[in-house]
Amino acid sequence: MVIETRPPHESDLETIDINVNVGPQHPATHGVFRMVLTVDGELVVDLDPVIGYMHRGNEKLPENCDYRQVIGYHDRTDYLAQFNTEHCYVEAVEKLAGIKPPERAEYIRVILAEINRIASHLMFFGAFGTDIGLFGTSFMYAFRDRETIQDLFEEVTGERMMYNYFRPGGVAWDLPDNFRQRCMQVLDSVERGVEQLDGLMMENEVVLARCRGLSPVTPEDAINWGLSGPMLRATGLAHDIRRAEPYSIYDRFQFDIPTGKRGDVYDKLVVRLEEMHQSARIVRQALETMPEGPIMAEGLKRVLRVPAGEVYMRVESPRGEYGVYLVSQGSDKPWRHKVRGASFSNLSALRAMAVGNFVSDVIIILGSIDIVLCEVDR
Amino acid sequence: MVHEAATAAPPQPIEPGPVARLFQSSLPGLALEIGQSPIDEVVTVRREDFARVMETAKNDEQLALDYLRCLSGVDWLTDLETVYHLHSFKHGHSIAIKVRCPVADAHVPSVSHLWETANWHERETQELFGIVFDGHPDPRPLLTEEGLGYYIMRKSHPLADIEEWQEDYLKTIEEAKSQMAVATGVAAPVDEKALKIQMAQQKAAVIKKARDEARAKGLSPEDEKAAVQDAIKKFEEEHAARQAAAPVTPAKPVDERAAKIQLAQQKAALITKTRNEARARGVSPEEERQIVAEALKKFSEEQEQSAAAPQAAPAQAPAAPSVPTAPMDRAAKIQLAQQKAALITKAREDARAKGLSPEAERQAVAEALKKFAEEQQAG
Repeated sequence: MVIETRPPHESDLETIDINVNVGPQHPATHGVFRMVLTVDGELVVDLDPVIGYMHRGNEKLPENCDYRQVIGYHDRTDYLAQFNTEHCYVEAVEKLAGIKPPERAEYIRVILAEINRIASHLMFFGAFGTDIGLFGTSFMYAFRDRETIQDLFEEVTGERMMYNYFRPGGVAWDLPDNFRQRCMQVLDSVERGVEQLDGLMMENEVVLARCRGLSPVTPEDAINWGLSGPMLRATGLAHDIRRAEPYSIYDRFQFDIPTGKRGDVYDKLVVRLEEMHQSARIVRQALETMPEGPIMAEGLKRVLRVPAGEVYMRVESPRGEYGVYLVSQGSDKPWRHKVRGASFSNLSALRAMAVGNFVSDVIIILGSIDIVLCEVDR
Repeated sequence: MVHEAATAAPPQPIEPGPVARLFQSSLPGLALEIGQSPIDEVVTVRREDFARVMETAKNDEQLALDYLRCLSGVDWLTDLETVYHLHSFKHGHSIAIKVRCPVADAHVPSVSHLWETANWHERETQELFGIVFDGHPDPRPLLTEEGLGYYIMRKSHPLADIEEWQEDYLKTIEEAKSQMAVATGVAAPVDEKALKIQMAQQKAAVIKKARDEARAKGLSPEDEKAAVQDAIKKFEEEHAARQAAAPVTPAKPVDERAAKIQLAQQKAALITKTRNEARARGVSPEEERQIVAEALKKFSEEQEQSAAAPQAAPAQAPAAPSVPTAPMDRAAKIQLAQQKAALITKAREDARAKGLSPEAERQAVAEALKKFAEEQQAG
């Protein structure tokens, strides 16, 4: 009997691509999201995202609701940036109905939306740390600070998650008396926390090794794929709707638009981290100049009838461009109510960004998109 | 909801904005319908021009609309409309381009070869509106993997009238129960789940009492546990003895659940009535709330009074047993329900064919149901 001693060549081994199913119930998918990976060893050669597990008819239901009843649905599309989404919707209704909210209401909206942006980015850093294997480091620190923001929001609105506070024409009620002082307190502690997060994350060996140079995106691709928000700015394009098409009173505040250079995952972290400081800067300016006065426009009817017309209102949400396309027929209910979720377009580029990377890196790439599945599926 | 086909032409022609003029100069002779939204310019193009318009929008140097922000479908009953919100990073301008197609021929050329992001947007719109995007590389449904087979965002697919069905269903059950009770002379089937819950609640109360007593006496944890065990045992023995003493629960003269439901329905009707009256008078929300609260208070006071003097009006509650109808068996009930369902479907389809509004449609269905119930009673 002859025993063959030659070590096997690669060509002798028959290899096949395997399909690996990730999700829909998986901590790395940030919600109910499934992706079917086709892997060649550790290399991902194809990826098929499967969405829709959270589809609740969030566009259909508002067509049967009064204009004010719809606000609650927007809390539930992007449940990490509720004020930003509410802001978009009420602005859309105001644009269409020709309502001008009073100054103080505009300031309240901007302040809350910007603090909400910080809270959302903190959530991102917490979850992203978990994705790359730094559970304790970022998650706990980020959540400590996010909790103080949630407390502040609870003091204002009475709710921790589903605020339902903005109204077409203003806000539901005025801020508590000590808001300015409490807000400064929260901002100070959160900014200290962000500094700590900066030190813990940005020069962390694990973060540097795993994120730098991973899945770089060019500005041309980003535009073609419909990316927006930090995903777009990380590629070097300084596009921010607050600056490019100023809505509300954003044209009154000084702030920088942080951008990246290479568009890789690390740049996305850098952009988000700096955005938190810029948001705090806007809030401080707004707190200083916030006037006293009414918080609701005068002469609004109990049942809001919006004149026939259409508007596509967009705001810069923490995840990117959040848009509401509202078509009115002159009745008290929207005729069409389309929500353009920033995560939806950002996630649609996942396949292009992930193919060609290792399985473990795909998890990081998915994490760097900062998806909210409720906004994707609506 | 206003349900007429709203294709009302704009009262006066709107001047084309700067972006629309760019379209006109780069595509001379193009038929454009100019509109304006509070933020963006809006143009509507014919379907046959659509492909070359989009090509120009993306590739023309002056237009350079390189970013597709949003793609929406809109159902205009006779037509389906697709709206493309475009933005140019180079020039900073935006425009909305619309194209319409008839419902019977819902086809629009795909633009996913121009903007990669249109891929998912078109898949979603195709799934929810039934607009087919010709030339789409991957036209699978997006949100529902298996596909629904119908288009949920179309106006012809309204939300189900759940309340209508529920009310109907509850009423049928309660009627059947009371009829059965009358016909057989025994109690309506005992609600075992409710009994179990009641039992568990009683038990919990016993445990809590025993524990509190033990704590008040300052017993050790072991003794406390023993005391609680004793109390439970005693309770169970008592319960068993009670069951042995009265094996057949006496027939309840009044169905409590039905009475409760009736009361709740009366209350709801009262609230709706007072609210509508208040609204008709045009009072403020606070006053309206107060009026409703007062009406409710009055109603519950009246209820209490009538409950305090039950002999005064005994004819109200046991009115149903006066007509001894034969017990309805299951098959008959199912048949009745099927007849009703068929009736509802028919009435609804008739109403839709007539092009009634959802409110009128609901009313038509309710009337048909009422007529049916009357016929049943008469026959």
